[in-house]
Amino acid sequence: MTGNDNSKLLHDLRSKCSSLKSAAELYKDCSAAEKKEMLALMNAAAAEITKLLAQLDKA
Amino acid sequence: MEKLKIFVLEDDKLAQKVMCAHLAEHAVDLAGDLKTALKKLADNKYDIGFFDLMLGPDDDYSGLKAIEAAAARGVHCVVVSSSDSDETIDRAYALGASDFYAKGNEEANIGEILRKFVQNRKAASASDIFSSAFITCDPETRAMAAEALKYAPTDLPILVLGPSGTGKTSLAKILHEHSGRDGAFVSINCSAYTEDLLEAEMFGYKKGAFTGAAEARRGRLLEAHRGTLFLDEIGTMSLNMQMKLLKAIEERSFYPLGSERPERSEFRIISATLEDPQTLIAQGKMRFDLFQRVHGYTINLKPLSRRPCDIAPLLQHFTKGRRRLSFSPEARAFMESYAWPGNVRELKKFTDLVSSGSAGRVDIGAARQHLRGTDSAQQAAPRDGELYAYALAHGLEAALDKVSGEIIARNLRENGGKKTRTMADLKISTRLFYATAKKLGMDTEGDKK
Repeated sequence: MTGNDNSKLLHDLRSKCSSLKSAAELYKDCSAAEKKEMLALMNAAAAEITKLLAQLDKA
Repeated sequence: MEKLKIFVLEDDKLAQKVMCAHLAEHAVDLAGDLKTALKKLADNKYDIGFFDLMLGPDDDYSGLKAIEAAAARGVHCVVVSSSDSDETIDRAYALGASDFYAKGNEEANIGEILRKFVQNRKAASASDIFSSAFITCDPETRAMAAEALKYAPTDLPILVLGPSGTGKTSLAKILHEHSGRDGAFVSINCSAYTEDLLEAEMFGYKKGAFTGAAEARRGRLLEAHRGTLFLDEIGTMSLNMQMKLLKAIEERSFYPLGSERPERSEFRIISATLEDPQTLIAQGKMRFDLFQRVHGYTINLKPLSRRPCDIAPLLQHFTKGRRRLSFSPEARAFMESYAWPGNVRELKKFTDLVSSGSAGRVDIGAARQHLRGTDSAQQAAPRDGELYAYALAHGLEAALDKVSGEIIARNLRENGGKKTRTMADLKISTRLFYATAKKLGMDTEGDKK
């Protein structure tokens, strides 16, 4: 994997982590329905992060 | 805050959710890809747009294309992206972005972006201030004031320079009114107090703090909490007082006289002086660190004699709803060539005088009669005495240097620091200019034009 690919991976990682952090900050103020939706999106983002970390490990 | 029409280009679902939560008070339209974004931007009118740049894992910054389209339609474009290399930032600004924020601090950033946007829009549409609150037709003065208004909604300190009576306080009030700050505009004229009184006035005091302190009193710093503290004639403040003020500005807290408990105040500073701060620093009358704290953005108001086009609209404003006056062409010409040492304040006094006169038509005789009374030659008398004493104490050469320095500093200030203009105005050579500036320790590092 090239340096360019690595920088894309790192960009995606930063982006996903930022969204997850911002979502976590908002979570406590969400209604019950919103919390459920937010949690699903946060889980999906966390899974993406795990995937990106695995790719970074292989790179 | 008014409800805004906001466009968001963001491919990440969670980030979309976060943005929507922060923009809940507004009408938000979302797009997750470039095609949808371009269609929505073409079909709708938005106030502000938030743009991610990389839309998908293999995307090549296609968000930039959306910025170009949005900026062309007058949308205020803000990039919120994790791609924040210098090259990307440059490209985004070149395509029309107005702001660029790295992802990750949306809670603080989005509120700040919206507040600034609303205030700037208000400032941009406030061109009528030049025909009401701050009357001027002079293009240079208008441009400077309009530029200063852009900084009104920020926390940046503003320093207003200009001779007495040019409207420094009026401009400071306008800047406060456009700042969006909840607190009050609190003004204090530093030259009107002795050091002790100024300290009591600024910081307040507890009952019994000193003889005569029969009741506790809140200081101006506390009154300016969440508002604006306007320090007029800051150049007259003693060095000791400057040090105390600096500490209060840096720590945002201070001790009222006689109190052991500190008070906190979140105030924004606007200050004004008719003297040249660089000269004051060179003369040891102003602390450099205080100057650094108060001169975030500097605006230099020209004297009235350098903007004669303002005389007629100011006269009209001063007589609005009152007796209207008519001026003979000779009287107008005289007024336009008059030095107006007291600037707008003097013009107001003149208007009051001629308005109270027997004739509504003002001829050259009446204009001369009222303006000669405040002629600068008369005001120069005590100044001559002061200079004479200085010459006796320091020698003639030092006194002449002092006069040269003051004239150069004043003209530089009036010309917004343009040295070539000062050299032309004063008919002096480059060598003499720099020699005088060097001798007096004046700052000549700015504009070398």
